[in-house]
Amino acid sequence: MEEQLRIGVYVCNCGTNIAKIVDCDAVIEHCSTLPGVVVARPYKYMCSNPGQQMIVEDIKEQKLNRVVVAACSPRMHEPTFRKALQTAGINPYFLEMANIREQCSWVHDDPAVATAKARGLVTAATLRVAAHEPLERRSVDMCKDLLVIGGGITGMTAALDLADAGSKVYLVDRDDHLGGNVARIDLTAPYLDSARDMLTERMTRTVEHANIELLLNSEVEKVEGFVGNFKATITGRPDDGKGEPATQTVDVGSVVVCTGFQEFDAGRATNYGYGKLPNVVTSFEFEKMLTEGRVETKEGKIPEYVAIVHCVGSRSTEFHPYCSRVCCVTALKYAQEVKSAIPTAYVSDIYVDMHAFGKGHEDFYRRGSEAKTLFLMYAKNDSPVIRKADPKDDCEMLIEVNETLSGEAIEIPADMVVLMVGMEARADSGDMAHLVNISRDKDGWFIESHPKLDPVATTTDGIYIAGGCQAPKDIPDSVAQARAAAARILGRIAKGKLEIDAVYAVIDEDFCSGCRMCNELCPYSAIEYDDEKKRSNVISALCKACGACVAACPSGAIKALHFTDQQIFAEIEGVLA
Amino acid sequence: MTFEPKIVGFLCNWCSYTGADLAGTSRIHYAPNVSVIRVMCSARIDPTFVLKALMDGADGVLICGCHPGDCHYSEGNYKMMRRFPLLKKLLADYGIEDDRVRLEWVSASEGQRFADVVNDMTERVRALGPSPVKADLATDMAER
Repeated sequence: MEEQLRIGVYVCNCGTNIAKIVDCDAVIEHCSTLPGVVVARPYKYMCSNPGQQMIVEDIKEQKLNRVVVAACSPRMHEPTFRKALQTAGINPYFLEMANIREQCSWVHDDPAVATAKARGLVTAATLRVAAHEPLERRSVDMCKDLLVIGGGITGMTAALDLADAGSKVYLVDRDDHLGGNVARIDLTAPYLDSARDMLTERMTRTVEHANIELLLNSEVEKVEGFVGNFKATITGRPDDGKGEPATQTVDVGSVVVCTGFQEFDAGRATNYGYGKLPNVVTSFEFEKMLTEGRVETKEGKIPEYVAIVHCVGSRSTEFHPYCSRVCCVTALKYAQEVKSAIPTAYVSDIYVDMHAFGKGHEDFYRRGSEAKTLFLMYAKNDSPVIRKADPKDDCEMLIEVNETLSGEAIEIPADMVVLMVGMEARADSGDMAHLVNISRDKDGWFIESHPKLDPVATTTDGIYIAGGCQAPKDIPDSVAQARAAAARILGRIAKGKLEIDAVYAVIDEDFCSGCRMCNELCPYSAIEYDDEKKRSNVISALCKACGACVAACPSGAIKALHFTDQQIFAEIEGVLA
Repeated sequence: MTFEPKIVGFLCNWCSYTGADLAGTSRIHYAPNVSVIRVMCSARIDPTFVLKALMDGADGVLICGCHPGDCHYSEGNYKMMRRFPLLKKLLADYGIEDDRVRLEWVSASEGQRFADVVNDMTERVRALGPSPVKADLATDMAER
């Protein structure tokens, strides 16, 4: 005998996020009339402990066997509520969420219309959940070995933490040396520590670590498999540039992508004359001068006037809209360094807004301000223009600034101009995203699983991101992310076994005609053909549940667990009811 | 009173559904006419889903997947892309107007694009008026 449906519907107010647009009581009232619904309740914050507790108690007391939560996106809290079902002793897959926040209350302004839409979405979820089946999560082995891509400060830190904990780490960098972008800088703000010292410690340990296999001059060509069980193909170029490249395939449980950033090409902002005026240099070129201890013009003269221009390529409608986060404090560092190298120099700091947000940065800014630096403010999208000076001007260049604090157009003399070039996603970040199957945002940065709560995981389980490849960030934040990624991975390794989603495709042998259409269609080669039985068969561990085979099967023999035809039909009926 | 079309949207989990969520977190307002059904990949969208939606009274069906080359499952969207013209041909044979069923690519970072697609689709379907499919079906059944 079939079990009688007992559905609980829970409508979250999300404070006022949902309730101020959607009439939650009206939704509740409507849902109470749907077949199988025995209880329907609103709550202020369903994801809170009392909210979850309410669901757990209802499941136990009212003998519920299906639950609908109408709240935020399932991408946000589906795991939370699945856990609540599990706590209450019923199969976690007997949950369905209706997204009435991201896809309703936050995007519509007419309460009546939004309420009607919410009603449809909750009806769809209620009809769908009736067709849900109990599913068992799969337990797979977690390979302890790891792959870290990128040997900068972030990659080395992640690799060291993982290797120290006893895992074997393959650390891959396409360069012939470690250090990444940090190897290109001299002192770090705000404590003026040497970047080289920091790196040397990391590099020495990385090179000497028994658990780290360092693969320089190497590229990751292919990453296949799934969390806990990836296969990575790595190709190394021979050191001398001659001979055949060597390819190896390694088994790893997780991958940390630490591929960093590239600097904005200053030549694109033509108003600065970069590439035409010899003494207009980028911040990275200036760092090189500082490292070599020679701040001088191309002509070998000590500059009398040094100007530093902020936000080159950053915070502009023409180039990158975002702030690159490290340039302001780096510019302040340059002002101090120029002053100490050339005490007689006049330093002007031409900025848009001073973003000195980090720990110790405000003090650093204050000290910089006291060091007689001339600060000039310009408006976003009204960038200064640099031109060659006349011989009579007694300087190399002149910078025209529409200074916003005084409201005057000011001309500044300069013998050397340092352009604070912003950070941008690497030109080939798209290739990396493809390689490990993660997404990029509109600016090319890799997207994290959740911006606040899950900042180093990605939408592909087992692939982590850390450092400058995720968004512009400074060394402390990059290192923090590296260690966070390492901690996440080590936590899972400690558990030994790994639970993965119960969602995959299954083939009903009785209906399979053995046509093998699905075999070729599967992007993961997860469907094998049994020659004896003349039937196809899904290897569930390899299946990632895309459902391509399900839609293509001419016999309707393949079922996508949790996304069955019946469940989707129920949803269609619900939204159109 | 203006006609408010009912549109069913099938969105892939990884790009388009996330893009629609992003429109929400970015508070980009758009027409309320599309109700979304989440599938793991646009390749999961069986043509029967579209037919079922039309038969159940949808005035339009919107299918969204990752941009070509960006599929979470590497090439699922190409499968949808190939399936779609066949479906459209079939729909055309049944006299269902071109604008009623639409395939669009929306990435996880394109909240604004999702809103634009929904607004544009809503306008076009509104211009076509109510879908005759459900009513025709009822008449056919009655005559039988």
